[in-house]
Amino acid sequence: MAILEVEHICKSFNHTEILKDISFSLEKGQVLSIIGSSGSGKTTLLRCLNFLEHPDRGVIRVNGETLLDTENPSTWQESSIRKKRLHFGLVFQSFNLFPQYTALENVMLAKELLAKEQPDYKKRKKEIHEEIRVHAQELLRQMGLENRMGNYPHQLSGGQCQRVAIARALALQPDILCFDEPTSALDPELTGEVLKVIRELADKNTTMIIVTHEMSFARDVASEVIFMDDGYILEQGDPHQVFEHPKEERTRQFLSHFTQG
Amino acid sequence: MKKLIAMLLTSTMVLSMSATAFAADESDAAYVKEKGTLVVGITDFAPMDYKEEGSDEWVGFDADMAKAFAESLGVEVEFVEIDWDNKIMELDGKTIDCVWNGMTLTDEVTSAMECSNAYCKNAQVVVVPEDVADQYQDTDSLKDLIFAVEAGSAGEAEVTALELECTPVKAQADALMEVSAGTSDAAVIDLLMAAAMIGEGTGYENLTHTVELNSEEYGVGFRKGSDLAEALNEFFAASYEDGSMTECAEKYGVQDAIVEQK
Amino acid sequence: MEQIMEQMPIVLHSLNIGFLQTLKLFFVTLLGALPLGLLISFGSMSRFRPLGIFSKLVVGIVRGTPLMIQLLIIFYFPGLVLHNPIWGSGEAGRFTAASVSFILNYACYFSEIYRGGIQSVPIGQEEAGLVLGMTKTQIFFRVKLLQMIKRIVPPMSNEIITLVKDTSLARIIALQEIIWAGQAFMKGSQGISGQIWPLFFTAVYYLIFNGILTVLLSRLEKKLDYFR
Repeated sequence: MAILEVEHICKSFNHTEILKDISFSLEKGQVLSIIGSSGSGKTTLLRCLNFLEHPDRGVIRVNGETLLDTENPSTWQESSIRKKRLHFGLVFQSFNLFPQYTALENVMLAKELLAKEQPDYKKRKKEIHEEIRVHAQELLRQMGLENRMGNYPHQLSGGQCQRVAIARALALQPDILCFDEPTSALDPELTGEVLKVIRELADKNTTMIIVTHEMSFARDVASEVIFMDDGYILEQGDPHQVFEHPKEERTRQFLSHFTQG
Repeated sequence: MKKLIAMLLTSTMVLSMSATAFAADESDAAYVKEKGTLVVGITDFAPMDYKEEGSDEWVGFDADMAKAFAESLGVEVEFVEIDWDNKIMELDGKTIDCVWNGMTLTDEVTSAMECSNAYCKNAQVVVVPEDVADQYQDTDSLKDLIFAVEAGSAGEAEVTALELECTPVKAQADALMEVSAGTSDAAVIDLLMAAAMIGEGTGYENLTHTVELNSEEYGVGFRKGSDLAEALNEFFAASYEDGSMTECAEKYGVQDAIVEQK
Repeated sequence: MEQIMEQMPIVLHSLNIGFLQTLKLFFVTLLGALPLGLLISFGSMSRFRPLGIFSKLVVGIVRGTPLMIQLLIIFYFPGLVLHNPIWGSGEAGRFTAASVSFILNYACYFSEIYRGGIQSVPIGQEEAGLVLGMTKTQIFFRVKLLQMIKRIVPPMSNEIITLVKDTSLARIIALQEIIWAGQAFMKGSQGISGQIWPLFFTAVYYLIFNGILTVLLSRLEKKLDYFR
């Protein structure tokens, strides 16, 4: 069974249609790359999946559970949305780390707040806190940041910040981890360290959706590629097919910008 | 917007009219007796209302008489220092019940308040530096001087009536300071105040008072239409009769200024 | 000079009592206006239109009129117009009325500073919190509040120091704060009259207290310097 099924998602802002009938599905452990020019709706799609935007139409299912169905308003209740968001993780283009917390605290904060909702929190307070800390430290170590845990975001480079942000998203163990142009805000020499980390996650079969402009990376790491244009999915398939033998003229045009440059 | 302006105008009018709107539909004496306290609005004004050094109790000729009057009504007395400019607002707003503070009975005062009979005489006097005092011993000699007077005071009224040049200042004390600093040639203030504030042993040893411009009288002010004014007149008459008023006046050195009460 | 030295103990005693009243009004105002300002800022940012319009109207009126007039209206209006002197007599009543006026006035100024502070926190901070499953309340208190505080400390410091000096306006309803106490010696009080130096001397009290506040506030600013 597919881990994620998206059906007929539509979204407009002020009468401008950004997403026009988007449907796709994703298997567990797959890495999906979404490519396309700016304004094609890639970011809006990710924001819909993370419930930062409310689609005008469509269905989102995770592990067979219907998280959102615009035909059924009861699925869009403020109280339940918060929990539904936890199926997804999102890594932003501009990191959005919390500046007043250290790298470690950034990774721990959300988990600690969630732990308070556990029925046995009061009894096992210390124990839970320790578990969260150990897990957060382990994640930061995986990101190659074992020496940076006590640093504040402004003391870290862009690449380091983005790796903290990835650890922060992983701390909640989401089913699907989304990346919104994770290297676009970075200096070129810093993109490598972030891409390496994402590649390692792919090797561990982490289910991911990556919106990116790094074509060679998308091709390497992805098991599935979607090309979006003007709010539609124009082409979908394995990387080899989409990159080497695109069916659509529009895809070929788009890709030619990168091969030439 | 029109509605807003209309509302603002109405409320301003209500506010300004209400000063005269106090109707004697209810006895003020009954109101004071019911709450059990007579609230007396005063300023720090020796020898009428003041505090002895290191003491927290208001004393003075006015203060002592106010205490006795409250006792005769069977209520407590409470002294509250007020801003003199706001005395009518304080009365009408019922934050005080009377003004009992060596208040000169001017037309403005008697038209805005229900006043008692006069109980004390006072005069407006000219204050000049001591070294030039000889030159200013009669009204005619004053015409070249520039005066400092308290705005709205009886002194200002006198100076204006004589068509003398004057600068209005905020308080009588400010008028004295003007003379002392040489920014005005002379001031006109209350005799009782002059006696307390200038000359030897005060902050203005180089000043003295000369011409008496006008004699005037002190009274106690109540809310317009209040029946307490009449009650106080009866109390004054009784205490003049039995000599307790004069006795109290002697204590503060104002016995010569007392007005006979009938 | 000799005379001044003689009068000094009496004057200082009076000024101290007056300054205590000044401090009382200052702290009561802060204690009331800091939280009330936050409520008003939420009101003026509310998506519920009537509440937003009402909050903005209140802020507009309060900021558009002099505090001195507000003091006079709040103290005298109930007795004069409504014939119901709610403040009671004596110093306590005057202090209550002054506190209410100051809290309302300063809460409106604070609310605008808060609003600027809250709106200057990037939207990405809220979105990051939402994506991590945090509630709006958690996001406000655990993520945005401190960032907002850091941004508003400098403009707040300004207002707080202005407040110290503004307390002297309360003398219009005869609240006997330090300037009133100093002025009493011009007219005559406790055997001292015609003296202007006590009034000038009150400036020393303000200067010292504001000096202490400035040090404390800049320390707070430094303390928040650990992040950007």
